[in-house]
Amino acid sequence: MGKEESFTRIIKENEGVIFKITTVYTQDGQDQKDLYQEIVYQLWKSFDSFRNESKISTWMYRVALNTAISQFKKRKKHSITTSIDQVVLRQTENYNPDFENKLKIIYEHIHQLNILEKGLILLLLEGKKYEEIAKITGLSETNVGTRISRIKQKLKSRILKK
Amino acid sequence: MDLEEIQKVWSDMTDQLEKQKKLNNELIMKMTQHRFKSKFDKIKLYETIGAVICFIMAIFILFNLNKLDTWYLLACGLFTVAFLLVLPVITLGLLGKIQRMNIVNNSYKDAIVKYTKAKNQLLLMQRVGIYLSFVLMFTSLPVFSKIMKNKDLFINSQIWLAYIPVMIIFLVLFTRWGYKCYKNITNSAENILKELEA
Repeated sequence: MGKEESFTRIIKENEGVIFKITTVYTQDGQDQKDLYQEIVYQLWKSFDSFRNESKISTWMYRVALNTAISQFKKRKKHSITTSIDQVVLRQTENYNPDFENKLKIIYEHIHQLNILEKGLILLLLEGKKYEEIAKITGLSETNVGTRISRIKQKLKSRILKK
Repeated sequence: MDLEEIQKVWSDMTDQLEKQKKLNNELIMKMTQHRFKSKFDKIKLYETIGAVICFIMAIFILFNLNKLDTWYLLACGLFTVAFLLVLPVITLGLLGKIQRMNIVNNSYKDAIVKYTKAKNQLLLMQRVGIYLSFVLMFTSLPVFSKIMKNKDLFINSQIWLAYIPVMIIFLVLFTRWGYKCYKNITNSAENILKELEA
């Protein structure tokens, strides 16, 4: 399989992951599109180095998260809001307003976390084990555990009240 | 909503995204070849254009340095040249440093630390630039007046009577605004650095 073929296959398999990362790190549609393209571009640029790596998801999350934090973004001065259009998944016939509303609340609260916490909660929600989260973030497993407990507490006091 | 429910909603979203795959090979490869202008590129483009203008002005002053025939005009001229040459170089260097950050080999933690530090340096530089540009306004006016009109504004000129008060008002307003913006951004950056380096 050629380089292009392998790369497009990986991106297609993980397009949902990239979409979720861009939603967590941006606050409007244009920024999200820019970040999506930038992540794909950075993944392509680093694709050769990935070939020596053992786990594809570690490489992918690392590049995508590092790209997300290094983007210049406009800071919203006032409250952090999430446009419903941004959260709403590309419309399907199974559109569920209740589900969309819950998603919107979740994203709003993730947006309020700091940059490190955003990455950690994203990886946790993606079902990553502490070991892999530690590999991607460079934190120790114990540290990951402690920080995730703190994030859970934070979210509990905010979301769970809703 | 409890945490299990959050995870359930997230997992449902993941399933829906799986069903809604939109990318095709052509689109993916287009994204890898045609780099859409990111905000970072735009900042760098504006800074580069600004730097070129500064260099042209600095060269213009340097070629006319002999016309600055008093010690104070010469001092103003040299400060203006130094400002126009040094500040853009430092700013472009810092932007380059951020752009060259290794996003593959750095862990998320390292990338946050390096990026936050580089961004802080850039913000500090921009802040210094704002303050110095007010000094530049004072120094450049007599320099250009002397070079282009052969007029020494330090002698027999009423222009300072209007110029100085206006500049002071601008300086006060601008620095207050600049300091507030800078403080807000760097405070959150400092917090995250403290947290990561603890």
